[in-house]
Parts: sequence; structure tokens; C-alpha cells
Amino acid sequence: MTMKRNGTPSANGTGVGLTMTLDGEKVAFTRGETVYEVAERHRSEIPTLCYDPRLESFGGCRLCVVEVEGARNPVASCTTEAQPGMRVRTRTAALETQRRILMEMVASENRDLDVDPMHGYASQEMAELLDRYDARTGRFRGATSGTSRPDDDNPFIGRDYENCISCYRCVRVCAEQEGDYAISIMNRGFHTQITTEFGGLLKDSACTFCGQCIQTCPTGALGDLKALANKDVPGETEKTRTICTYCGVGCSVDVMTRGDRIVGILPAMDGPANEGALCVKGQFAFDFVGHPDRLDTPYVRDEKDGPLRPSTWDEALDFAAGRLRKVVEGHGRRSVYGIASGRAPHEAAYMMQRFIRAGLGTNHIDNCSRA
Amino acid sequence: MSNPLADMEKPDVIFCIGTNMTECHPVAATRLKRALARGARMIVADPRRIGLADIADIHLPIRVGSDVSLLLAMAHVIAREGLVDQAFIDERTAHGEDFLKHVERYTPEWASEICECDPDDIERAAIMYGGADRGAIYYTVGITEHICGVDNVQSLCNLALMTGNLGREGTGVNPMRGQNNIQGAGDSGALPNNYPGFQSVTVPAHQEKFERAYGRRIDLETGMTKVTALDLCGDGIHAMIIDGENTLVTDPDRHHCEHALKSLECLVVIDLFMTETAKVADVVLPATAWAETDGVCTNTERRVQRLRAAVPPPGDARPDWWIVSQLAQRMGWEGFEFGSAKEVFNELCSLSPTYAGLDWDRIEDGEYQWPVPHEGHPGTPRLHEERFENGRGIFKMLAYRDPEEVISDEYPIWLTTGRRLAQYHTRTQTGRAGGIDYLLPEETLEVHPDDVARLGLEDGGWAEMSNPRGRVQVKVHATNKSPRGTVFASFAFEDVPVNVLTGGGYDPVTQTAALKACPVALKPVASPAALAGDGGSGAPALGQL
Amino acid sequence: MATPTDQDLIERWQDEPAPLLPLLHAFQERDGYLSEEAMRAVGRGLRIPIADLFGTVTFYHHFAREPAGLERPRVCDGPVCQMRGTEVLTASLRAAGHDPSPMPCPGRCDQPVPVITGSEVLTGRTAGTLVSGPSPLPPFPPDGTEECVFAGIRRPGRATLEGYRHHGSYDALEQAVTGMTPGDVIDVIDASGLVGKGGAGFPAGRKWRAVAEAPGTPKTIVCNADEGEPGCFKDRVLMDHDPHALIEGMALAAYATGAVRGFIYLRYEYPDTAGILERAIREAEGAGLLGDGILGTDFRFDLCVRRGAGAYICGEETSLLNSLEGKHPFPRNRPPFPVTHGYENLPTVVNNVETLASAPPILLHGADWYQGLGLGDHAGTKVISLSGDIRRPGNYEVPVGLPLAKLLHDWAGGVPDGRTVQAVTMAGLSGGFLAGRDLEVTLDEPSIRPRGSFLGAGGIMVFDDSRDMVAVTRQSMEFFAHESCGKCFPCRIGTQRLVERLDGGGPGSVDAWVDEVADLNEVMKKTSACGLGQAAPLLTESLIRYFPDRIRAYLEKGA
Repeated sequence: MTMKRNGTPSANGTGVGLTMTLDGEKVAFTRGETVYEVAERHRSEIPTLCYDPRLESFGGCRLCVVEVEGARNPVASCTTEAQPGMRVRTRTAALETQRRILMEMVASENRDLDVDPMHGYASQEMAELLDRYDARTGRFRGATSGTSRPDDDNPFIGRDYENCISCYRCVRVCAEQEGDYAISIMNRGFHTQITTEFGGLLKDSACTFCGQCIQTCPTGALGDLKALANKDVPGETEKTRTICTYCGVGCSVDVMTRGDRIVGILPAMDGPANEGALCVKGQFAFDFVGHPDRLDTPYVRDEKDGPLRPSTWDEALDFAAGRLRKVVEGHGRRSVYGIASGRAPHEAAYMMQRFIRAGLGTNHIDNCSRA
Repeated sequence: MSNPLADMEKPDVIFCIGTNMTECHPVAATRLKRALARGARMIVADPRRIGLADIADIHLPIRVGSDVSLLLAMAHVIAREGLVDQAFIDERTAHGEDFLKHVERYTPEWASEICECDPDDIERAAIMYGGADRGAIYYTVGITEHICGVDNVQSLCNLALMTGNLGREGTGVNPMRGQNNIQGAGDSGALPNNYPGFQSVTVPAHQEKFERAYGRRIDLETGMTKVTALDLCGDGIHAMIIDGENTLVTDPDRHHCEHALKSLECLVVIDLFMTETAKVADVVLPATAWAETDGVCTNTERRVQRLRAAVPPPGDARPDWWIVSQLAQRMGWEGFEFGSAKEVFNELCSLSPTYAGLDWDRIEDGEYQWPVPHEGHPGTPRLHEERFENGRGIFKMLAYRDPEEVISDEYPIWLTTGRRLAQYHTRTQTGRAGGIDYLLPEETLEVHPDDVARLGLEDGGWAEMSNPRGRVQVKVHATNKSPRGTVFASFAFEDVPVNVLTGGGYDPVTQTAALKACPVALKPVASPAALAGDGGSGAPALGQL
Repeated sequence: MATPTDQDLIERWQDEPAPLLPLLHAFQERDGYLSEEAMRAVGRGLRIPIADLFGTVTFYHHFAREPAGLERPRVCDGPVCQMRGTEVLTASLRAAGHDPSPMPCPGRCDQPVPVITGSEVLTGRTAGTLVSGPSPLPPFPPDGTEECVFAGIRRPGRATLEGYRHHGSYDALEQAVTGMTPGDVIDVIDASGLVGKGGAGFPAGRKWRAVAEAPGTPKTIVCNADEGEPGCFKDRVLMDHDPHALIEGMALAAYATGAVRGFIYLRYEYPDTAGILERAIREAEGAGLLGDGILGTDFRFDLCVRRGAGAYICGEETSLLNSLEGKHPFPRNRPPFPVTHGYENLPTVVNNVETLASAPPILLHGADWYQGLGLGDHAGTKVISLSGDIRRPGNYEVPVGLPLAKLLHDWAGGVPDGRTVQAVTMAGLSGGFLAGRDLEVTLDEPSIRPRGSFLGAGGIMVFDDSRDMVAVTRQSMEFFAHESCGKCFPCRIGTQRLVERLDGGGPGSVDAWVDEVADLNEVMKKTSACGLGQAAPLLTESLIRYFPDRIRAYLEKGA
């Protein structure tokens, strides 16, 4: 998670010249920036589990606590605004010990500490911090929290709450980012449980299956079931940045592939149109691409009422050109019409109009926006 | 859109009309919801109680096709209450005075007779929008797919002009484009009236420019629209090349359309699947799909972005541009020797004033919104900031017109059509994506519970819709989402081909089909199982091609 | 009267301030529980997303989600009641055909074991002997020690406007609104040294001044009457017997700060108190002491009571504000503080009942008078709720600085049955224990804090030398685990892990056990987001400090 909504301080922004001391170094900040944001800019690598830069700071995991001169206890850097003259230490021995103990505590409440990365965008965050703090000690053993929902038969969002650490990123992304308010927090304390209204299935709730909850989950308690179905496909996962193929919003996505196969979709957190958001189609409806129904060869129909039969490109192109030429010869160049697609790239539409204009000299070209 | 998507989080008052955004543009809708969360207010005008209506401050359940009456009355109230932005009108518009005079007669009471909304609600909505510091209008094809689509859009422009809600952050008149590159298809010149970059074909200078570029004489007259071309199939139009459109299913009056395509001497279809349209073609050419194709697309906020191939295509599938350029070469034409999508796009940029500052490499990160008139230009997230493209914003004096077909004793129910969240268009893609059917396995007809009772229908039972163009059988879903007297179905499912019924006229200017208002008769029928053997509605299911 | 419909209830409340809790209570009273349909109706009526509303309802202990859940008896299982008969009463209820469930301390530690059933709180030893009644009056202090908030409380009829005025009260309000500027009022409170009596001890005058100076209107006075701390029952006696003192104190705070609206956020477990407060507010409104044009001036102040629903965390001021606003009652991040971003994000005074009730006598008698009530350098008084192994449990208003031993032995009669004090809790349970030589403290923060504890809200439970301190610690930690809101990791996980370690779980060796518990203590104290998580480990910390041998014995028994 590296995307920042708040940028670096600008020379002409408000609060020019504000400075604080961060680990002994004098640094500039903009009014309204949190200590965490300032520290991130200076690569302090403060650990967090409940933080998602797209959401309001929550202050739940307490891993991001830092020492502020004059404060009795460490403070959560994600919820503390930077103040002029503030003196902050982010990595003292005491803080690192507290963080290690916190991570040991977190580890103690989950069934699994390691999950397949195909679970989702942020699914490795906890495991990475366990490694960083060498916190797989097994201390603080006790009851595990959360009750998984294998009864939820939806094909997209796995709900394995025995691996939930109650950071509520899913609840917050659903409310703040999506505005759907489909899930919430049930009960209190250690018995906290992520729930829909009355504990029902997601499909009976306000859930729109956008998958944002999955992508912000730092433990893999929520998992992308469509990607996980491909977790055993051999090969390294590669990512290709492109734009979603459905509506006109133009959301950026990273297509995950292994070999010649799409294995899943990740939202692009820095996508200019979507800033990490996606909908059910963009997130999950990708597998038409490799579907067996896809046309993989040209077809021609030799006679009007005959069948379509597979052919080669050479044959099909010549066949089509021959037919078109015959129409032009018989009815004139204005008897040919081209319809471009609103689903194909510019190059397709451009080439179609070029075909009509440069080839036939007419303007008999349209696209499908009229339907 | 006149304004960027990011502006959707910034209005004080949001006015959504004819847009079911939470289902059709869900990610854009999240921005509106964030605006509401920070205190913005929202007016939603839509016949149905759509998702947006549930979170709106005012829902105006207008009768389908009555938008102009509502918008005239809102203009009337805004004028009467002195909520006009006189400075904006004076400095940036033309015919403002005439317009304010024009709307004097259109009271909310007058409109309520037509649009069937409470005049007090119309009044409140007008005052809310008119009183906003930043008022933004959003619409989709619920506005344009009417015989008065242009009037609808111009009515919205009138509202924005009279209140000065254009050219500033969080304002604007913003159409939400429905397909990933429908904007780009227009940008690229796939229009009968415009060359690439919206250069009119009837301007000799443009003609000359493209004749020089393409090395051939080109007509100075506007081409036919698709609608006209389909009407003239077999009678003036004898060949068609259709790229990636399931015309047969998505266009109105399916029987007419099928007949038209079958009367061509040559139909070439380029597509991913053997669609209903491909099945009637003479030549079907396999195209590469999304994630197999390098290229460019433009989104609804005019942002030019790169599409990148991630996997190889199946078998012999090829990029659309390659297919068409090869076909041109087989026609014996010169100048179609392109080697890559990059070459094609760069030629487009060289001919389009809106893309003049762009090329393939420059759009790598998708930070440009057109127009980008020259290299080094930062792009134009917000249109009309300083001035309008054509000088002044011109008020249009409009009057309300009934739809071409209106309900009658014989056809007493309005059918309106649209999309649903989980399925896209005719399901050629989502129907083949695992799991989507879990959310939406079949089409249903949304009918108000009172109508269900009145017409002797049964929730979950079957009904037949009919009009002179045809009949369609569909399962009934009783829901308050539909107002009394209006029913809704999407056009996603092949076994509920609602476009058999639609087709009651076109907008005279754009020739956009009236898909949103269609009078039908509705009656209960036995389930299709009981009808087996008599033809039923048994279209083949997907995968049985 | 006919049973109200959903729509009746929603229309009754939807345009009122802070409508969620009273509306939910109204549905629960009508139906005997909160049905799914009821919650859906409330969600629609108040435009709260249904998943959020459902989650929030589950947060509160006393919202029943099963039919007849409201009638199901709930029996106190606080540490003091567990010593005095929770088990016997529970068994007796079961024998009488009930299905009792436990509940946290409902603030009646000076009475027999309390039970809530329906909308009533009863106390008694067995199912057949349960009675209801107001809080016992505070015992008289010895030697005519001068009191502040208890000075008039024992006078007959004090809870009525007539009785209150009979002794000249509301004079302070009259004096303020007719003869003093708001700044003058704040100056007096400031100079008196009055500090918050709810636990944190923040100077009241400074808080009032901050609100008076904060931009943004309308401003709000919130009385924190969510007395959820086990072993604390002082606010109840004040409100039951002297409600007008609180109302007058709130009106003074409103006048001083420019606030125009007020809430008394009253814990669910005090239903009778709610009636007393409502009645007193109506009386005051009728007499022109609340509402528009108070005492003939243009000062306006509207006051209403909002009942909680059983959540200790709602005594934390920012949780309380979220609860009032109908949100999930997690504590907010601070800063910003309620003085600038309180109720509806506007400037808000949140003061405890005792703090607000202290204001009228201070205004009447002056800052010096109040200062002088304390011993030595200490200002004023503090009400101590004393319970457990003590002859005369009850509420005592002591001069700040009084030796603990003097309170226990001279004021309250000492430990019965010839036993001695083994340990006392401080701040209810939040201050952990004092034992051994630390029992020689005086009742003021400078004396207590260096010993790793604090006086807080003033609840003291006494445990004699026969008590199993590991078991007491476990019972106490179970309370914190039950009440941990679940927002921050150290508290949510830590309270659970500490309970487990006091209940046979965790490492078996003393060293490893102490090592883990000490680490949990340290991280909870240092990194928890609010006072609950910071305070809970004081119990285990003091257990390790005072009773290492008991820990050893406990672990050896387990092995």
C-alpha cells in the first residue's frame, strides 16, 4: 500500500515553513498532515495493520504508535496531526518492543499466519510484519477470535473470519469508499465479528460484491475466491496494468496472469478514475476472456442459406473483400456501411472509419452509441 | 462529462436524472455517495425507485418520457425565486432573457399533470438545485434514449446555464458513458457527421485535410446514421461491416433488425463470440479481447488511457484494427499498411485537434483528459472554465412532446428498459464469467405489487408483454421499485428479448432510439414449461451455440 | 391506550435530538425485545444503514434480540456481589423457573444483589425476597465534617422542586444569570480547584473556558451519568435524591459556556433515576428554570435525558458522544477533544454528575470555601463509594486528602468478623488494587498515583484476608474483557489473554506466566487507545506486585 492521497507539501500550499523533528531530523510538513503521513514520506516504515490510505485514520491496531516529547504514553501516529515544533521518535527500542509484543498478540488470535497471496491485494501485510518483528513465537496462546462463514455460498468473497484481526478495514472500505454499508461490527471486544444485517449471507445484504473488502484485508480472512481457484496454476504471477472493459468510468486494473492465463484482477490503487475502487464486473467478471466459446478462427458462409464454416484468414479476408467489391460494383460505394464498436480500442474505431472514408470516400460510419 | 470524475465528490447539490448509476456506473456512484456522506444533498428524477433514489433527499418519480416538462417547471421555479445567476447569463450566454420569459408559463402544477410528480416536490427540487453554490447534473441514457433525447439534454443545459453551474469545480452537465470506449469511438471519427476529433465532415477545410491525409476524395455530405442504414438495408445499403456489436439484440425492434441484416448481400461481423448477429453474417472474423489487445480507450471524463495485452489471444484471433486494415488491403486500397496499434493511434493523434498534444508514449500513465491541443498542454479536466467552445452558451426554447407511442386502453403499461449491476449488456461477457449468475441468474419483470394484483399476475409467476411489434414472456417480480403503471426489464438475457418490443421512434436529431418508453399490454400466462412445444420463448441458452 | 405502531414510535422520536437510543428503547418496551422488523423500521425511520444499526444494537448488553429477552432476569456478577450471593440468587431464580443470565455491576454495591427484569431493577438475596427502591441515602460523616454535594441531600423532599427551593437552591443559577457574566462564573469554578469527578480529574473551569472560547454553535452540555464502573454508585444517590442540584449545575455550565442544549446520558441500569430526572426537568421547565427565557432573561437551555443500553465504554466521553449520536460507540481518536469537537462535532462540555452538582454550592459559597473543604493543600471533596468487606458500605463525601485507613475504620466501621483488610480496589476496578503498606495512602491523586493506581471516580471495594485475590482479579478482568469495545488491538486481545491466564490458561511456569502477563500489562498500558485498556492491566500489575505467592500457589494448583 503505497498510494498517498495527501501529497508532499507544496511550495505555495498553506502552512509553508512548518517543521517538526522526526527521529532527530528536521522535516517539513503541511497543515493537516498526520505524523504517520509525514513519517511515510521520510520512509520511516512505521508498521500498521488498520491503515488504508484511502480511509479515515482509525487508530485501532496501535502498531503505529510513536513517542512524542511531552506525551505520557506513545500516540498513534495515524491519528495524530503533525504540529510545529513537535519532536517525534518512531523507532526507539521501547516502541519496537511494544510493536513486537502487539504482533505476537495479533498472531495469537488467528488460525493461520500465512495465506496464499491470491487472497487479495493486502493479504500479506500481517505475515510481512510477523517476519519483520520475528513474532511467530507462539506466545500469548489462547482462544482464536472470529467465526468463519463457510455457509456463505457466494462465489466471490471468502469469509474466513478465524483469520480476522478486527481491523475493520473491510467495514470501513464498504462504508467510506463504497458507500454501501453492507457490513458492520457485531458484539464487542474479543467477540467482535464482522457481520451483515442480522448475520445473514452477503447476497441477502446491501453487498454489491465490489470486492473492496477483500482487497483491503491484511490477513486473508477475506479472500478473492475467483483468484484463489487459480492458486495452483503453475508459474509466477505477473501483473499488467490496463483499463476495465465494462462501463465508461475507465477504472484501472492490474491483470494477474500466470503463463497464458488470467488468474485474477487487482484494483489499481493509483488508477486516476477509480483510485482503487472497482465493481463486481471489473473485479470478478474477467474469465470470458479465456472462455471456450471464444472464436479462434474466421468463418465464412459460402451460400446465403448455407452454414458458417471455419476458414483461414487468407480465405476469409479474400472472401469478404470479394463480396464487398461485388456490392460496390453493383450498388456503388455508398452502399457499404461500417459500424464501429464502443467496446474496442480507438484503433479499431479509427481503422473502421478510415476504411469507409479512405477506402470508399463516404461518411457511412457510425458506432453503437445509439443503442 | 464536462467535469472530471473527481468533481463528483464536490457538489453541494447533485441532480441525477435518467441515470441508474449505482448499477450502471457503480464506481462513479461511490463518489456521489462520498459527497453525500460529507453533507451534499441529492435530487433523483427517475420513474423507478432505483438505488440512488433510496439515498436521495428528493426522489421525483417522473412518468417515463416526461423529463422536459419537469425541467421546464424547475427552470420556472428557479426564475421565479430569483435563483438565476444573472452575471453568468449576461457574460456567458445568449437568449437568457427570452428563456426566462419562455418558462414563465411552465408552472410545477402544469408539469405535475404530465410528469405525475407532486408539484411541491418539483418546487423543492428546483429551489435545492437553484440555490446550490455548486450544483452538478448527471445523466445517462435515461435522458437520451427518447424521441426527445436532445430536448432533454438541452433542458438540462438550460438549467445549468441559468444557474451558472458550468465550468467550475463540482458543477457541470455530465453524461455518464455506458461503454468502456464509446467516447473513444466518437473521438476516433466513427461518426457519420465527424472526422476524428469532432471535425465536421461538412466543413470543406476538414474534407481537404482528410483527403490529403488519406489520398482520396471524400464526400462533403454527412453519412447515414446506423438507424437509417438499418432501415435501408437491401434498399441502398447492401453491405455492412459490424465490429463488436450484437446489433440484433441491443437495437430496438428486433424483428425489423433481423430482417434488415438478412437482406444484405454481404455482412461482415468482427467479434469475440458467435453472437446472434454473427450467426446471420456471411463472414465472421475473430477479434482479440480485452486483456489480449494493446490499444487506447477514453473514459467518460475524456481521460485517454492505455489498454495493455496481458495474455495471448485464442487461436487465430486478431486485433480489430489489424482485421480491418487487412480487409482494406485485400480491397486493393493503399495506405493501410499499419504494423502496430501504436502506429494507428499516432496517426489518429496527428489528425485530431483534441489529441494533437498526445501520442502513444505520452498517455502511458493516463493523466491526460482531452482536449490536449498541443504538446506540453496539461489536458483539460474541466470544460468551459473560461469560455464555451462556440462563444456563448445558448438557451434553447423547448416545449414538451409526448413520446411517439403513448399508453392506451390496448397497451396500458409503460415498459422501460435498462441494465442491472451484475450483468453487462447482452451478457456476451458477464454470462461467461464464473459466478455472475449467482447474483443474477435470470431476467424478471419488475412490477408494482398493486399492478401485480390488478392484472391478475403472480409474484414469481409468468407474464406476457406484447405490442404490435411482438411478444415477450418473462417471470414477474413484484416490487415497489417500479411505480404503478410502469414495468422494467433489462435487455441482458437472450430469453427475455425486450427489444422485440421497443422501437417507438427515434430522436429526430441524433436518431437515438426510444428504448426507455414503450407501451405494452401485460397479462398472466402459464409457465414456459407448460408451453413446451408451442414455441414458447425458448431461445438457446448460452454455451449451446 | 392502544399499542403504538411502528410509525407512531418513529414519529414520536425522529425529530427529537439524539433519537436512536430512546427509539430503540421504545420498541423494546413495546415488544419485549428488538425484533428484526423493529430494527428495520428504526433504520428506515432514522436513515441508518441496517447493517450498522444491527451491529450497534449488538454492542449494548441490555438490548434483547430474542423474544421475551427483556423479561429475562439479569443478575449482577460484579466482584462484590460474587462475594455476597450472586450464585445463591441465580440458583434461586433458576429454581423459580427463570433463566437468569449474568450482567456487569449495575451500581448497587451498598445493597443486596441486584437483578434486572423487564424494565425494573430489584435487589435481594433470593428470588422470593426481591424488592425495588431508591438508592440508600449516604451515611452521615463523623464529627460534622463539612460536605459539598451531600450537604442538602438528606433533607426530606429534596428531590422535588419545592423541597429543593425550600432550602434556597437555584439561588446560584439566579445569582449567575442576573448578576454575573459567563466569564465570572468560569472564574469562580476555576479558582475553586474543582476537578472532574468521573475519573480523569481534569479541571472543570478550564474545560468550561475552552468550550466558551471554542468556535461553533450550538454548544452542548453533556452530563456523564453512565456510572458503569463496578463499585461506583455515587452518581445514582445524587440523582435519586438531589436531581435539581444536577440540573442547576448543568444550567450553570450552559450559562458559563453559551450552550443551549444539554443531555443527561444515564446508564440503562438506573431506570427509576430516569423517572426522577424526567420529573425534575419538567418541574424546572414549568418554573422557568429550563427552556426559553430562564429566570426572565434571554438565557435558554433545553435539557433531556437519554438512557444508555448497557455498555461500560459509554462512560468514556467520546464513546458516550458517539452513542448519543446513534453511532457505533467506539471511542473517538483524540485530539480533537470534545471541548472543540464534541456532540455533533461542536463544542461540548462533558462532565460527571458529581462535578456538575458541585457547581451550585461553589457559586453560592465561593471558591475559597470549596478549596477549604480539602485537607492540607488539597481542594474540595470527593464522594467515595465504599463496598465489599466493610461494616457500613455506602457513599461518603470525604475531604480530599483523608487517609484511606481513616475512611475504612473511623467512617465506615472497619472490616467485619474480626478480619483485616487484605486489599482494596481503587477507581472502582480501574485503579487495580492497593495492599500492604500502600493501604497507608491518603485519598488524593498525588498520594495514590505514585503507587501505580489512582482515585478516579472514587469506587473502593474492600477485600478481607480470606479472599482469593487471584479469583477476584479474574472476575474483575472478566468485566474488562466483557466491556472491551473491540476497537483497539491491545485491549481487545489483551483483556482476553489476561482472563485466560487468570483462569488456568497460558504458561504453567511462574516465570513464563509472569513474563507474558507483564508484557501484556505493559503494552496495554502504553498503547491502548482509551482508559479501559490502559486501566485493566493495573489489576494484574498489582496482583504481581502484592501477591506473587498467590500467583505461585495458583499456578502450582493448576499443575
